[in-house]
Amino acid sequence: MIAFSILLLLLAVLGAPLFTVIAASAMLGYQQEGIDLMAIAIEILGIAEMPFLSAIPLFTFAGYLLSESNAPRRLVRLTNAVLGWMPGGLALVALAACAFFTAFTGASGVTIIALGAILYPALQHDGYPDNFNLGLVTSGGSLGLLFAPSLPLILYGVIAEVPIDGLFRAGILPGLLMLVMLAGWSFWVNRHNRKPPGSFSWREVGGALRESLWELPLPFVVLGGIYSGFFAVSEAAAVTALYVLLVEVFILREIRIKDLPLIMRESMLLVGGILIILGVSLASTNYMIDAGVPQKLLSIVAELVTSPASFLLLLLVFLLILGAILDIFSAIVLVVPLVLPIAAQYGVDPFHLGIVFLAAMQLGYLTPPVGLNLFIASYRFDQPIMKVYSATFPFLVILLLSVIVIAFWPQLSVWLVNV
Amino acid sequence: MVSDNLSRALERLRLLGTAVENALLVLLLSAMMLLAVGQIVLRMFFDSGLLWADELLKILVLWIALVASVAAARSRRHLRIDVLSRYVPQRYARVPELLVDLFAAGICGFIAWHSLQFILLSMGDTVLVDIPSWVAQGILPLAFLLMCYRFTLHFLAGFFRVLRGSPTRIPGP
Repeated sequence: MIAFSILLLLLAVLGAPLFTVIAASAMLGYQQEGIDLMAIAIEILGIAEMPFLSAIPLFTFAGYLLSESNAPRRLVRLTNAVLGWMPGGLALVALAACAFFTAFTGASGVTIIALGAILYPALQHDGYPDNFNLGLVTSGGSLGLLFAPSLPLILYGVIAEVPIDGLFRAGILPGLLMLVMLAGWSFWVNRHNRKPPGSFSWREVGGALRESLWELPLPFVVLGGIYSGFFAVSEAAAVTALYVLLVEVFILREIRIKDLPLIMRESMLLVGGILIILGVSLASTNYMIDAGVPQKLLSIVAELVTSPASFLLLLLVFLLILGAILDIFSAIVLVVPLVLPIAAQYGVDPFHLGIVFLAAMQLGYLTPPVGLNLFIASYRFDQPIMKVYSATFPFLVILLLSVIVIAFWPQLSVWLVNV
Repeated sequence: MVSDNLSRALERLRLLGTAVENALLVLLLSAMMLLAVGQIVLRMFFDSGLLWADELLKILVLWIALVASVAAARSRRHLRIDVLSRYVPQRYARVPELLVDLFAAGICGFIAWHSLQFILLSMGDTVLVDIPSWVAQGILPLAFLLMCYRFTLHFLAGFFRVLRGSPTRIPGP
């Protein structure tokens, strides 16, 4: 049994698709317990039993559509009109636009490709140091993960069976904290780079607003609809997807109909990858819960730590290591069911746990060896990976500080949930 | 040439397969959007709704998950721990890649077989009021069979590359 487990781990590290490794471990467990292997089919079919799951393909598709249109350019123009006049304004613009776009596209790496291509040259043109720009754009790619309606938030809600609208509220303040800390760092780095600040122009704001007229209702419909309880998250996703499709293809005509199948396919590749892992994880999780793995983990953890604070510290270290190895989606699906009961024993609020979990995993996008953003940025901006590492490092440190604050200040996450 | 004909036939199969995957994804995603929005319209303006819509929506999610998973196997886009291909020179990464593809093919075949057993066993069940459940669930063994086939092809392609020792490289992200 142990030999098999080590073999599976080895295969995972060698790059076997994670869903095959998880499925194999579940079936190995079944074999041990004398459960018929047919059970794996029943568990995978459980994908069709989970509520709100249709939100994941629909939001992902809407996000890919937006990133293929000129919406990223309009978003940057609008943000620039509102924030660009401040000192260090363009860095601020980059942070805000990235956070907004990531929230709507679900942290799949499209932010770096869609927005980075506009922001990176613009920052260079405005005389910001090259390393700073590279780090900013790379870390911006996963900023906004904590804002509604990002995919990881929805996935956590589905897995942990926590109300998703509550999670959407829980993410607001911690997400803002990350933004403010990064903005502060940007001001500090560029404190000597005193360009005469631009001037604020109502005319430019008006022009940018007019240009974005069709996309402007989106955040209000989606967020307003969900927060007010008028839409379930899956309904908001359907409205968003259909609306974006109609606007970008038929009204603005920025995406040709014949390109649609490829965009759909491209977006669904990610969705398929996430959902199939979800399916096989249902099998491995149920097996582990039957086998009493959470209780065993709890007794191990109980030997190490006693207070909630030390538990959170242990959790944080664990999540940072996990995030360096696993992508955020696999990590949520695999680990949340095991961590949830343990965290409950230490009195950690499930909303707070979710935000800490996602915030810590967000760092995983930026940490070697597998940080997705590092590779996308290296590829997209044609920079050596070592340079991307070092350029991103200061941003990683700032984000780590913010994650520590988020972990040890539960009210920050929980406060808005109960308002 | 026999091998020429074979490779042409395989190429045609590949194009056909990709086209079918894409068509299915377009169909499923469109159906999902229209069904969900239709439900909202019915609820808002007519104070009613389709009783089976929610269940159908969930079956659509299952289908999208499985069809997209087959597509992801073709495009090598399944989530994985991607250290090897990024840090190990291509010529040393080939043999582990072979191993991994063979393993994935085996597991998918295994799941395909056992889910087929399950479908056969639950033949009398129904979904969506009176539709036999195998209509909705039959995609499960089929999808895993196709993934098994896909990973076997990846394995074979890799195997012949190792034999020939040609320096072809799988493109980056």
